[in-house]
Amino acid sequence: MKKWLGKIIMPMMILIVGTAAVLIGVFYFRFISEHINEDSTVHLREIYGQVDRSFVSYIEKNWGVLEGWKYYISLAGEDNQSIKDFIDERQKYWGFSDFYFLSEDNECMTPSGEKNGVSMDDVYNSLIQTDSPVMASGKMETGQELTVFAVPVSSGTYKGFRYNAIAVSYTNEDLAASLDVKAFDGEAKCFVVNGSGDVLLSTQTGGSVFKNYLKYIDAASDLTDSQLEDMRTNIQIGASDIVECRIADTDSYILYQPIGYQNYTMISVVPQSDVSAGFLSVQKTTWNVLTIIFLLLGAAIITVLLVRARKLSRKNKMELQYRELMFDVLSSNVDDIFIMLSPIDFKVEYISPNIERLLGLSVDNVRSDLREMEKCAINGTVAIPRDDLDDIPMGGNKSWECEYMHQKTGERRWYRLAIYRMMIQDTEKFIFVLSDRTQDKQLNQKLSEALTAAKSANEAKSNFLSNMSHDIRTPMNAIVGFSVLLEKDADQPEKVREYTRKITASSRHMLSLINDVLDMSKIESGKTSLNHDLFSLPELLDDLSIILLPQAKAKHQEFRIHVQGAPPEHMLGDKLRLDQILLNLLSNAVKYTPVGGNIDFTVSSLQSKAPQYAKLRFVVSDNGIGMSKEFQKQIFAPFSREISSVTNTIQGTGLGMAITKNLVDLMGGIISVESEPDKGSTFTVELSFALPEHEEADLWFRHKVNRVLVADDEEDVCKGIERLMRDTGVELVCVPDGEKAVEEAVNAHNSGNNYNVILLDWKMPVMNGVDSARKIRETIGDDVPILVLTSYDWSEIEDEARQAGIDAFMSKPFFLSTFWHTIKPLFNKKAADEIPPEDINTESTMDGLLFLVAEDNALNAEILTEMLGMEGASCELAVNGQQAVDMFVNSEAGHYDMIFMDVQMPVMNGYDATKAIRSSAHPEAKTIPIAAMTANTFAEDVRDALDAGMNGHLAKPIDMNAVKDLVGKLTRKKRRNDR
Amino acid sequence: MNKKILCAVTAVSMALTMTACSGKDGSSDENNGNTLSIMGKKSDLAKSYMTSIFEQYEKSSGVKLKIISVEDADYEDEAAKRIKEGTLPDVFLHFNNSDLNRFDVEKNFCYLNDEKWVSELTDSAKEYCLDSSGDLLGLPFWESSVSGCYYNKTILNDLGLDTATTQAEFDMLCQALADIGYTPICWPADGCSWMLQFGLDPIFADDPSTLEKINKNEITYADIPEVKDMTEWIYDAAKNGWFGSDYKKTGWDDISPALSSGNAVMTFIWDTWFYTDFKPDKYTVDDFALMPVFMDTADNGTYEGGNLNMMMVNKNSQKADKAKEFLAFCADADNYNIAFDGISTVSCFKNQTTNIQSQMVTDEKNSIDEYERVSTASTRIIGYSADETAKIFNKMFVGDISVDECINLMDENRINAAHSQGIKGF
Repeated sequence: MKKWLGKIIMPMMILIVGTAAVLIGVFYFRFISEHINEDSTVHLREIYGQVDRSFVSYIEKNWGVLEGWKYYISLAGEDNQSIKDFIDERQKYWGFSDFYFLSEDNECMTPSGEKNGVSMDDVYNSLIQTDSPVMASGKMETGQELTVFAVPVSSGTYKGFRYNAIAVSYTNEDLAASLDVKAFDGEAKCFVVNGSGDVLLSTQTGGSVFKNYLKYIDAASDLTDSQLEDMRTNIQIGASDIVECRIADTDSYILYQPIGYQNYTMISVVPQSDVSAGFLSVQKTTWNVLTIIFLLLGAAIITVLLVRARKLSRKNKMELQYRELMFDVLSSNVDDIFIMLSPIDFKVEYISPNIERLLGLSVDNVRSDLREMEKCAINGTVAIPRDDLDDIPMGGNKSWECEYMHQKTGERRWYRLAIYRMMIQDTEKFIFVLSDRTQDKQLNQKLSEALTAAKSANEAKSNFLSNMSHDIRTPMNAIVGFSVLLEKDADQPEKVREYTRKITASSRHMLSLINDVLDMSKIESGKTSLNHDLFSLPELLDDLSIILLPQAKAKHQEFRIHVQGAPPEHMLGDKLRLDQILLNLLSNAVKYTPVGGNIDFTVSSLQSKAPQYAKLRFVVSDNGIGMSKEFQKQIFAPFSREISSVTNTIQGTGLGMAITKNLVDLMGGIISVESEPDKGSTFTVELSFALPEHEEADLWFRHKVNRVLVADDEEDVCKGIERLMRDTGVELVCVPDGEKAVEEAVNAHNSGNNYNVILLDWKMPVMNGVDSARKIRETIGDDVPILVLTSYDWSEIEDEARQAGIDAFMSKPFFLSTFWHTIKPLFNKKAADEIPPEDINTESTMDGLLFLVAEDNALNAEILTEMLGMEGASCELAVNGQQAVDMFVNSEAGHYDMIFMDVQMPVMNGYDATKAIRSSAHPEAKTIPIAAMTANTFAEDVRDALDAGMNGHLAKPIDMNAVKDLVGKLTRKKRRNDR
Repeated sequence: MNKKILCAVTAVSMALTMTACSGKDGSSDENNGNTLSIMGKKSDLAKSYMTSIFEQYEKSSGVKLKIISVEDADYEDEAAKRIKEGTLPDVFLHFNNSDLNRFDVEKNFCYLNDEKWVSELTDSAKEYCLDSSGDLLGLPFWESSVSGCYYNKTILNDLGLDTATTQAEFDMLCQALADIGYTPICWPADGCSWMLQFGLDPIFADDPSTLEKINKNEITYADIPEVKDMTEWIYDAAKNGWFGSDYKKTGWDDISPALSSGNAVMTFIWDTWFYTDFKPDKYTVDDFALMPVFMDTADNGTYEGGNLNMMMVNKNSQKADKAKEFLAFCADADNYNIAFDGISTVSCFKNQTTNIQSQMVTDEKNSIDEYERVSTASTRIIGYSADETAKIFNKMFVGDISVDECINLMDENRINAAHSQGIKGF
């Protein structure tokens, strides 16, 4: 109520005060104007009354002096000179323009004797009519107008001119000056007119163009016809008046009053502003003062109102800003977007700032055009359902489920869009509320996925258990079954050997199954980490070749290794895991390729985006049994094995490909498969490896290897060798067959420019490598090393080849480092000859060796003791690491040949024991070979063993062949070192 | 004295008179006195009063006139060529304008100050034919008119207004008319260039030394205060509305409607225009009268005399005397009154009676006699171009240039034109 009163009373008061002020002002100014007008007319009458009296007085004075002069002139008689002097003297005093003697014949003569100086028609008419003094207008021959005053005189003669009247003339300017009617700053016009309005005298400076002023007034003023008629009548009857009118856009007073001579009337025209100048000045000042007062009052009121309004506005604005700020803060911290827009033009009036965070859209862009949101809409989702807005009733709402994509991150988000139609401050608005349902959606998805995963896991577990049950039971069945048969047929050596062979095979299969399961389990649990060591690609391929060639050979398969491009020879990576991956693929290829099939292993170098990395592609392809499309989809799933008549006969855990896939993923690579049943399979693996910072320095030049002869019928091989040796500075000559090789070598020899090395392919057209070597040796002798390069197992021909003069063998593909390491010893035969004979025999032997065995499990210790005994070796047992350390430290140098160290032992584990041994003061602390003999068989276990200071790793259960190989290698090395 | 007797007396007296201009005797027929060559522009020679006087002369004297009619556009070049070659005809027609400067008048033409017919000329006609030294160059034999301020006397009378006798009164008159709503002066700014010379004429006609200085490039318009007075007056008149509101678009064809309708009260033009171009409407010729032009360069106003074609005598001709006889024949009242019978023109001869003179001119004879000036600006100022000057003023009217810039441009234009003509001193 109070507010309402405040709103009404204030404007009402202002209105009342304002109206009162205006009314007072109008009344005041009307009052002032009337008085000014009244005073002005009085003032005008006074001024022109005075002018009129002056004028009449002036006329009478002129007549009077002329009356006086006529007696003197009459008395002067014929004394013309005297008369002239008299007149000249008077002219100087009175200031008239000229003096005239007038005759009855309407002629005139000046005192100087000139005639017809001025037209005197009007003067004569008046004189004749009245026979009394006259005042009339005249005109000089030049057109200049004059006013003439004349009086009749007794007839006389001047210079022979007979006259009856005398006259003086004044120019109008002279007359006006003498009348001093230049009132009102010269702005007044004053005319003497006759009854018709003809102008007889004008006081205008510079002349006059007004001939009949009543006519001019008629044309130039806004006087009505009746007003003009009244004026004419008044002038004719000798009445006077003051008329207000507008002449030439100027408000003027016209005052007319008879001058008391004949019917002459004086008409004065004065601008009203000049007449009332003084009054108007006061009025203007008053007006200005009042205006200023009103303006100040008005300004004060406006200022007060403005201050109040601004205060109110500021308060409202602040409240609004607070609200907006709060709303912005609120909306910024929630995942709901708010938009308010006008239903008329869909102009966005508010939009919460979190739209940028939630949808990646600019607030300004959406504000300027709501359609900006359509960018986010995922196909099939309506961003802004404009067409449906009209269907929403006032006060109602409608909602949609929408899916948007974040414009910056590409993240998909789900919203529930609710649109409300409502009136806000009498204005219709649409309020859009986009409630983020992404978390709910994602949670639901996760739950769904989790459910699916749980089901899948459960299923997998069931499958796993089922598979394991089957796969374990199968070899176990064989072991148990043949164990029973062994007991039964113990007295039949042939059967015992057959049963034990089968038991051993089943045990190995079960062991590999267990290894795979454990490996898989570890990888999936995320406990697998990758090594990052320098490894040699040639070595890797060599190792693979060594392992795979016998297997392939056993099935009469052709196994080929190809290298494309120029892959780096040394890289940083986990060689063990890479071995594992490639062996899995190659083993499968051998396994699932029928007898006589082909297996190709291709390594190619791909372009790497980062110069410090090498990207390699490994492709294993075979022409084996292949896979169905359906199986290809699940080949990398655990325990996946295609069921077919062929696969059923092949042992496998179904974990190999899963492990391979996981390892490739772990190494950041990709693996893919293409396969067709009965046609074969191709597995492709792409992996990146870091490159070492420094390659080994080139030693070719230092060892004087300047020229190399290569003979190979495969052009690609030759080109590959050329490419790899391009930077060595070695001159390379390639020939396509053995015959040409012989020819080239002989020619070089004869010219005294022997090749430093000759590299021959084994299988070539015309002449094979061995025959070529033989021919070359026959001519050039034994000075030049000859190597055979082959992708085949050369064991068959090794003896023949060596007899033919071949010094060494190299596996294809050609690697520079392999080449170098192969030929390096050949250049120093002397050094090679110094190698003791026992070292040349690479066959391992453990006969007579004494091992220190650290093993806490008595059964395993017993088995090992027996197995070593079978090989002619013996051992001393320690039941934990500490005991092993003590035994070694307390032993004499050379007492033990090697130490087998279990890892998981009580008191001190194998790693710590090894470190203690290596750090002990025993003379052989640093050189005694130590091999881990453990059930920890993962790659990282091998690495940990090596890191601890061991020299090798043997997995349990013990494979004596592996034991023999390792023992042979390590003990030989030890012997060399000891030497 | 009848016509025949007068002719005979004149012929005898000419035959007996030997003047300093007499040429050498020639051997050809043309030089035997039977022929006389007259050269003029084709259009000029075709005028009826010209053919009339030629016929009269041939008939009266028996002398055959050889009329050399030259295309108007080629006339000046042809004349220059003949002067250079010495083949100028006996009688040469030319206006007394600045083009005559090219022809070395003193060397090539006779001065005619002592001819008897000189007293027969009206003052203004004689004045026109004088050179800067006051020597008479030729016999004016041409139709002429009086240019001045022609005003609608009926309107002025109806409005109770009188004519102006001074510049101040003229300004008052203009303002009084403008106050009532009339266009005081019809000023055809679009293409009608003669208006400006009314203002310039008094400046140069009243003080020949000014003309001489400007033609020697010793002074410029900018050095002459009256030029600025005139320019300012025109500028103010336009600003005050004395030319009306559409004067910038008003051209030649608009003058007659403006005057005959009574929309405009005055214009600066010549009397014969009322008989050639004026088309009566609300007002007729009888409603108009003449008063001087006021452009703030002559306090009592000015009239411009007509441009007259003169008959000049080749000083180097062997028939110079015969040529003078021919001129005397033309100046005979009997002969010229026959030639100009019915021709609407201002009189060149005092006894010219058969021509038609407008009442407007007749009524203001005294005023014309007093205030008429020889057309000077357009004819005597070297490099003056009425059209170019009008264009410059139009730039001022639209506000592109100031009064001073207008004067400077007029100077620039004039000097450039004189320079291009190869006039000495420019």
